[in-house]
Parts: sequence; C-alpha cells; structure tokens
Amino acid sequence: MDIPYTVTPRKDTGLYNAKVGIWLFLASEVMLFGGLFSGYVFLRVYADFPWPERSLPIVPGLINTFILIGSSVTVVFAWAALKMRKWRQFQVYMVITLLCAALFMVLKGIEYKAKWTHQAVRMKDFVVVEGHNHKFTIDSKGKIEHYPAGGHGGEGHAHHDLEKNGMFLIADKDESAGDKSKGKKDKHYYNKVVFNGDSVTIDLERFYDPIVQDLMAQAQKQGSKMKLTQSIIGRPNHKVAEETLASEGDLLSLGLLKELRAVHLDAKAHNAKIRTKQNRDAWARLRKDLPKEMRGEPSYKIKNDLELDPEFDKFIVATTSSLTFNIEPTVTFVLKPRSVRESAESASFMDGTLLSGAMDSKHSQIEMAADAIDFRFVAQRAEEKGIDPEVAIQNTWLMKNNPKVKELWAQHNKHIEKFEAELLKKHGRGKDGNPTHVPTDTERYRIGWQELVNMGEGKEMMGVFSGFAGPVHELDKEAKKSHYSRHFPEIVVPREEVNLESKFTPRWNNYYAIYFLITGLHGLHVVGGIIVLGYFLVFGKKMYLNNPERLANRVEVGGLFWHFVDLVWIFLFPILYLM
Amino acid sequence: MSAAAQNADHSHDEHHHDDHHPGFLQKYFFSTDHKTIGIQYGLVSLLFLLVGFFLMMVMRWSIAYPHEPLPQWMSFLFSEDWKARWLQDGMVKGETYNMFGAMHGTIMVFLGVVPLGFAAFGNYIMPLQIGAIDMAFPKLNMWSFWLYFVGGLTMLASFFLNTGAAQSGWTNYSPLAGIQQSGAPNQWMTGQTWWLLAMVFLISSSLLGSVNFITTIINLRAKGMTWMRLPFFVWAMLVTGFLLLLAFPPLEAAALMQLSDRVFGSSFFMPTGLVTGNGALEVAGSGSPLLYQHLFWFLGHPEVYVLLLPAIACVAEIIPCNTRKPLWGYRPMVWSVIVLGFLSFIVWAHHMYLTGMGPVISTFFQTTTVLISIPSVILLTSLIISMWGGSIRFTVPMLWATAFIPMFGIGGLTGLPLAFNLVGLHLHDTYYVIGHFHYVVAPGILFGLFAGVYHWYPKITGRYMNNLLGHLHFWPSLIFINLLFFPMLVQGMAGFHRRWYNGGDAYLAQASESANVFGNTVEQYLPLNITMSNAAFLLALAQVPFIINVFFAWRRGKKVENDNPWNATTLEWATPTPPGHGNFTFDVGVYRGPYEYSRPDAEEDYLPQWNEPSKTEPESAPSKEESNPTVA
Repeated sequence: MDIPYTVTPRKDTGLYNAKVGIWLFLASEVMLFGGLFSGYVFLRVYADFPWPERSLPIVPGLINTFILIGSSVTVVFAWAALKMRKWRQFQVYMVITLLCAALFMVLKGIEYKAKWTHQAVRMKDFVVVEGHNHKFTIDSKGKIEHYPAGGHGGEGHAHHDLEKNGMFLIADKDESAGDKSKGKKDKHYYNKVVFNGDSVTIDLERFYDPIVQDLMAQAQKQGSKMKLTQSIIGRPNHKVAEETLASEGDLLSLGLLKELRAVHLDAKAHNAKIRTKQNRDAWARLRKDLPKEMRGEPSYKIKNDLELDPEFDKFIVATTSSLTFNIEPTVTFVLKPRSVRESAESASFMDGTLLSGAMDSKHSQIEMAADAIDFRFVAQRAEEKGIDPEVAIQNTWLMKNNPKVKELWAQHNKHIEKFEAELLKKHGRGKDGNPTHVPTDTERYRIGWQELVNMGEGKEMMGVFSGFAGPVHELDKEAKKSHYSRHFPEIVVPREEVNLESKFTPRWNNYYAIYFLITGLHGLHVVGGIIVLGYFLVFGKKMYLNNPERLANRVEVGGLFWHFVDLVWIFLFPILYLM
Repeated sequence: MSAAAQNADHSHDEHHHDDHHPGFLQKYFFSTDHKTIGIQYGLVSLLFLLVGFFLMMVMRWSIAYPHEPLPQWMSFLFSEDWKARWLQDGMVKGETYNMFGAMHGTIMVFLGVVPLGFAAFGNYIMPLQIGAIDMAFPKLNMWSFWLYFVGGLTMLASFFLNTGAAQSGWTNYSPLAGIQQSGAPNQWMTGQTWWLLAMVFLISSSLLGSVNFITTIINLRAKGMTWMRLPFFVWAMLVTGFLLLLAFPPLEAAALMQLSDRVFGSSFFMPTGLVTGNGALEVAGSGSPLLYQHLFWFLGHPEVYVLLLPAIACVAEIIPCNTRKPLWGYRPMVWSVIVLGFLSFIVWAHHMYLTGMGPVISTFFQTTTVLISIPSVILLTSLIISMWGGSIRFTVPMLWATAFIPMFGIGGLTGLPLAFNLVGLHLHDTYYVIGHFHYVVAPGILFGLFAGVYHWYPKITGRYMNNLLGHLHFWPSLIFINLLFFPMLVQGMAGFHRRWYNGGDAYLAQASESANVFGNTVEQYLPLNITMSNAAFLLALAQVPFIINVFFAWRRGKKVENDNPWNATTLEWATPTPPGHGNFTFDVGVYRGPYEYSRPDAEEDYLPQWNEPSKTEPESAPSKEESNPTVA
C-alpha cells in the first residue's frame, strides 16, 4: 500500500504531499517566531530600564548573516544537482551548506561564551557596573587568598602593584569553566558568599541531597565534623515502642537523614490517618444527632457543634521534623550567592537548611575589573523623579566610596563637554535656539570599555583590547609585559549594596532574555537543519539510486526549511544587533 | 489516484500481500494506520476525561463540604503518604484544591476533549470520508500520538513530585505561575515546570497532527471528491487543523518564556518591584504579565473552537442521517465555519477586559466577539432546521445529538453577556463564567462527542452499542449535568467567586464587614453547593453504563447487518466493517454531495456518494453538481 502523491504532484493542487506539509509547518513556525518577535516589541516598548542598544558585537553577527545567505544558495544548488542527477555535485554543495551551518554555530558559540562570562552588577542605587570577576582560593584551613593580592598571583595572571595606581587587569581566562578545578592545587572561586558556620539545621521533609552534600564536603575538606546536638527518639506508629533513632554526637550523613526522614514520614502519615478517622467519626455523629430536616445543612452552619473524640489522641505519636548539628571547628563555607539568603548571623538555603554563624562580609564582596560603568539607569530614574541626574549620580554609593570612579567620571564629563561643543560647532543651533545634535544618553552616562582604555595609558594599543566579541581581559604574554593591561579599574561592591548581580544571561535583563531565547531557538533550528540535511547527504545514496526524484523532493522540502531559518536570521540580525 | 486504489484493492483482498505481517507491537502500539491511531487516541483521551472528572469530584467535595474529610470512596485512591502531604486531617487543602483545579482544566482541555474530538474522530473518520487509503504522513501520525502520550504521562507524573503538580490554574498566568513553587531547590523538578515541558510535547503533537490533517484533506481526496462534496465533518476538521496549526505556536513561545523565567531567572513576565511573602524578588524586573495573557489567549480562544468544531462536525453527520433529510444549508454552514475559524483569531482579548488594556482595545474585541456569534448561530440554526419536518429516528446517537443543540445553545447564549466589557466587570471570575464555559464544553461538546461514539461504534467494531445501556447513560447524564451547571449561573450572578476552594468560607468570614467586596447576595445561594456537588457525584455514576457498554459491546454487542447499518451516504460506510488496512475494497469514485437523503428520483431514501449514477438519475458534470448538493 503506497500513499499517493509522495513523488509526483497531484494534478488539481499541483503539489506533492511533503510540499503541502512543509508550507503548513512553516506557517506554524512563522506564528512561533511571530509570537517571540511581538514579545520583543512588547518588552522593548514597555521597558522601564535603559534598553541596551547596539550592545552586541556586530562583526560576528554580520559574518553569520552572509554565511546563512550563502548556505541558502548552495542548498538550492544541491537540489538542482539532484534534479540533474549529478550525485557528486549534490554532495559537494550539500557539504558546503553543512559547513556553513556549522560555522554559524561556532560563531554563535563564541558570542554566547563572551556573554555568559561577563559579570554585571546593578547596585541598590541603580548604578550598573560590568566587568570580569576576580577570583580567590580557599585552603584546607579555611584561609582565603585573593588573586592577585600579595604574592599569590601565580602564572598566567596579571599581577600588579595595587598601591601604584589601583588599575588592574586580573580576570581569569578560565572563568567560564566555573569552579572546576584545573588540576591545580586549589579550586578557583568567583563571586561567592563566604560564611563561617558553626551549626546547621536541616529540615527532614525538604532537604535536598546536593545542598547537604556540598556542605558536608566543604566541612570535610577543612577537617571539621558535624555532630548531632541531641538524641532523637521516635517511632513510625503507635503499635511499636519508642526507640532512640539517633544519639547525640552522631555525625551528619545522608543515610542518617534518610533513615530519620522515613520514620518521620511514616509517623506523619500515621497521625494524619488517625486525625482523619477522628474527624470522620465526629462528622458522622454530628449529622446523626441532628434533627432529620437539618442533616443536609451546609457544613459551615453546623461546624461549631463538632466535637472531636479525645480517645483518638492517644494514638498520635510524637515526631521530629528538623535536626541541628554543631560544626566543630567552625568552617568557612563558600556558597553560591543565588542559592542562599544570607544575613549577618545566618544563611538559609532553598530546601530549608539553615546555617548559623557569622557572615564574612569582606570576602563576600564582589570584586571585578570593570569594563563599563553605567549611570544611565540612575539618570533615567532621576529624571522620572524630577531630580537633576548629575546630583543623583554624585550621590551614588560608588561615587562616594570609590575615588577612582569619581576621577573617571570627572574625566568623562570633560570629554562630553568637548563633544557637545564639537557637535554644536558642526551642526549649529535649531530655530528654537537649542543645539540640533546632543550626545545620546548612552554617550553621556555610560563609560564604556573603549573610553576606559582611552583614558588610561593604552590608547595606542587599542587593538589589543578589541576582541572579536567584545573587550579582551586576558592579554597574551607580550602585551602583559607592558603596562597596557592596567586599564580596567578595580571596583569592589559590598554584597549588601547589590540589587541584582548576574552574568550577561537571560537573568540580567529582558534584552538578554529575549536575545538568548530567540537566537537560541533559532540555533536549535539550525541544528535541526544540519541533522535533516546531513541525513540526506549521508543516507541518501540508496534512495538516489531507487527513486532520485523522491530524494530531490526531500531536499527541496529541507531546503525550504533552510530558507526559513535564513529568513528568521535576517530579521533577527537588525533587531538584536543594529537597533 | 487509480494507482493507489489498485494498491488498496490488493491489500484488502489478499491481506498484506505487499506488506509484511506486522507484529503485535506494530499492529496495536506503533501502528501507522490512521484507524488504529484514532482508536488509541480515543481510548487514552477517554481515560484522561475520567481522570479529569475525578479531580473535579474532589474539588466539588471541598466546595460543598469544606470542613469534612474527603469520604473514603474518593480517598482510597491515594496513598497514605500522599494524603499526609496533601490533605489536612483528611480535608482538602487550599494548595491541593489549586493543584487539582489547574490539572482538571489542563487535562480536560488538552488531554481529553481536543484529542477525543480532533485526533480520535478526525483520525478515524476523516480519511475514510474523503476516500483516502490513509493519512498523508502515516509515520508522523504515529509520532503525533506518542508525543501526546508522553506529554500526558508527564502531566500525570507531576502529581507525584515533591512540589505536586502545577497550581496556578489551567491558564498558568504569570507572575503567579512564574514564582509558584520557586522555593524548590531544583526548578527542573517542580510540577509547574513539568506543566510547561508537557505542553511542549502536546504542542509538538498537535503541530504534527494538524499538518497531517490539512495535507491529507488537500491532497488525498478521492476522485470526484470536490470541495463542495466534502462532508461537513471534513470541513470542520480542516478549519480545526488550521486553528491548531496557527494558534498553538504563540503559546509555545509563552511557555518557553515562562520556562526561562522559572529556570534561568529571566523576567519576561516579572514586573518591576514584585514582592511576595518572602520579600522582594531578586529578578531584573520590567517584564510584562500582560504579554503572557496575550500570548496565552491567542491560543486560548481559538482553542475553544478546536474543542467545539469536532462536536458540531459529529452532530452535523448524525442529524441528516437520522432525519433522512439533507443537511439544511450545507453551503452557508461551510462558509460559516471558515469565517468562524478566521474570527476566532481576533477575539482573544475578551478574556482580558479586567487587565486595564484600555477602552479602545476592549471595544475592538467586544465588537469581534459579538460578530463571532453570527457564524455560530448560523451553524446551530442550520442544524435545527435540518430536523424540521423530518421523520426522525431517535436512535441513541440521535438523542445525544438532539440534546447537544439546546445544551450548547445555553452555553453560547450565556456567553453573549460576557462579550460586553461592562457586564464582564461584574461577572469576571465568578461561577457564571464557569457555568458558561462548562455548558459549552460538557453538555455541549461532550454530548456531541458521545453522539459520535455511539454513531461510529458499529463501523469501528462491527457491533452496535447496547440500546438500554445507552438510554441509562443518556437520561441521567442529561438531568445531572444540568443540575450541576445551571446553579453555577445563579451563584455566579450573585457573586460566588470561582477560586473559593472552601465553598465561600472566605466570603462568610467577611459577610458582615464593610470590607466585603462581594456584596451580601451570595449567602442565600451557598446551599446550592451541596445540590451541585451531589449532582456531580451522580453524574459520575451515570457514566458507568457507558464504560460497561464500550467494553461489553466490543465482543458481545449485536452484530451489524451490513457495512452501512444506518443507511448513511458518506464514504466511511462504503468500507468493510471494520475497515482493513488500506480501507476501501473498490476503486473509490464520488458522484454527488454528501447528504443525498430522500431524493424523490431515487429508489431508496438515501443515495450514497459512491454509488455510480444509474441511467434514470440525471447526473450532471461534477462542476454543475457542485453548485448545490443539498438540493437535488
């Protein structure tokens, strides 16, 4: 049994099945991306923060555009080759198409990586600082070493005299690899909450294995023990006698927790059963005792007469739902900022685990080599409130506490004044007497990385910092010998001044959220295209020999999809990179 | 087409001569045959309807008897641990009610009614009615079913997660749905996230299904099956296919954004300055909850017609067959259904009058909403007039089809006031809304689909369903479903809120205070809760005869006398019973419109589409014939 019109078109519609199918599929895809594009418009129009315009590196995006357009052409050539029954030619064009697609993904990957290794901090007064994090290590005694402070710089890290000018380049190339140990002695950490814990309380119902395991591992590394503070006595139901389930001084282990949890949950279920019976029994008696005409009354009218039988209470068993362990000696815990809510004396986790002790606020600060200091959000909010933006900026925590930033800002303002004068000279004043051209908010309120480099000593070496996908922090050895690596200022933000900190990920703001979502989905489509077209290339020979027209149809349909993927990118490139 | 027909010939005569013998798994599980897939969809979706119904009974208990423990005949289904976690001393907790409410809606809409109406009936009947040997893409069809199945299992499995299933209503409005269960240490293991993942499966399934349906209808019609000779059923399926194809993707976009909000911490739908019980949220902000609602209802409203059209489609087949009259107004009905499909894309924001979109937008959507009642009324009126003056055979399917009309009518007419935004202000989020759409979906759509089950069962199994059990199913269902839903309209107008899990306790607590925003009209209607809930429990009982009937008749039912037991005219009745692989045993040709009943020039009171014209029948060329197939 063969389905008709898989190869030849139907006469009255002029289409073969797969062609109808792919056009319908593409219509659906248009609606999907249409939904996302309208989401983009909606979010941008109603954004209450300065939308990052033209903040992506244009070159990789532009190259990608041409790569995709080129591959759209070659996929047509591949199809035409099949139509002419030239297998070899088909192979060549298809391979080119696939290489283009792969190259596209590689460039995309480079661009992505630059984003999610880039730290950003929004402070409580809406100053935004962007840059790369410093790193630190912790040894087995809980002692913390910061790079590149005093003599621990090590190889491969720029390491300069802090006293001299306070400008540093220290971000680590390997930061993207997260906290993975590099086979070196110590693990590198970035941007962490440091907490000295002396006891931990664990919620038996909610505890999450990885969180407890992490705490245990850190304690073990520092040679510390977690000991139960009091003996636990309990039983799963009233039929068995109470026994000691764990005694004081027992060490914390997942096995112990799970054992106690099992007993606790059994006891809880047992109690619930008893209470339910008690409740049912009471309601049955209540309804029975009512006069007949009142038995159907809604429960809210009669519930006050409900009497629970105290006999049932005898069967209720006592149960423990949380355990406390002492940590001896105190451990310096390194915690992920987003998994913990910290205060001066405690740190609580999502699963109800609670660490008590003292927060190490000095080591919990966010320290970074800043490649942008951005006052746009401050200015925007000041203007909304009718305050002079300059006053608001002067009043920010960063300006008050970091003299270097104050100096940079003054320098920046001089540039802007000069720039304003240039614009006035060039374009003159309009009829209303105001200058026709003024600096944009971005120019006025944001000190970007090019400007930071320009204000330093590295002006003539601009190219060194200018990476393919943004500013370069990790310079090669040659450049490091010179002083040119010192041009990103050191900025330290105490954690309590932070309103939001994130890498350039969907979390940072809605621009990056929609950027990653649409380009990510588009990237998935590219991968899908690679799989489908690659399948035709690798496994198509047999069908080519049996039924070449059918393979040609398949490639045509795949090609239509590929054109669509290209078309989506042609819309994406301007709205995300140029506008 | 002839090549295909030849093939079809072979495959039936000498069963599977060009095909290998499929193994058990391939025949019943991983089948690519549209009929098997249709039956798979049918059985699974009926099971999901049962699950959804059960969730509703637990909710109804909580509303009617808020202070009393769940009775044993419901609670025995849960494990002791589960009860300890989700019931408070045996009583339904608020979060449990929310969970069941969200999942009741989700299961009923996405896993029950749509798969039953569109996927099950559409898969089984539509290719037969157009004279095709199978769907255009049989393998995609299989994938569509299994994606649906996995999506459904994911939904069900989410009940057993630590966090429980989704708890933010079937609409999953952000920011509520974005932060619901956000305290869980692993966001990937929360019910709210699994809801989104399951939706991705279901949307993919519906995408494959709708592409397949539309392609099949466009390209695989038998020779002579011109557009205006398509049974109305096929037209309805075509429009439904387009609705699914174009309306679902924006929901997928919304689901991806919400997923990103939940697991990557983005702020698509998180407004600036959002504060919860745990303090200010640590998110970037500037997101738009309104955006979610737009994207959701862009699917949500066409979805209503995705639910409805298959039911109307079934009824439109059953009424002409049982009145022995042509379908009245076939052409207007076809155009109506097309216009309906189009308009359903531009009415979505009438669900959002209370969001403060502004009067201009509200007025626009109010206008389109009123407009869409025109094609709906044309459809319903045509069905009523189709019965006028006919000698009606009140078979069981016809009973259900007849009941569909007034029941759906009540649902439709109670919707009209809701179209106006001023009335919407008063009725929004009350039981009036619940009553309205349940009248549309339960006694309306489900009655239509039951009619379809009884009508096509003889073709699917070769046996009739039992008549007595059919009546025992129909009459109690009709009574109890009205006792269940009509009081909702009354309570709703009095101000009973749709999210009161404990039957108005919150209202009673405030009834005497000036802070009571609901007015003092609700209290006198609170006892109705008990009537409604008991009606719901009895309604469950009334489904027992149906369940027995479906399985009993499969093996023991009365056998059909011939391949066309109802003396119907459309092509599915030209196949052997049950149809084999490849469907038809002859070269299918179509010579006339789909509803040629009681033609004065014909010997019998029906003239099937596939009968070759006799010499006495003044047969015209297809193009002329097409001009009005209902008037012969």
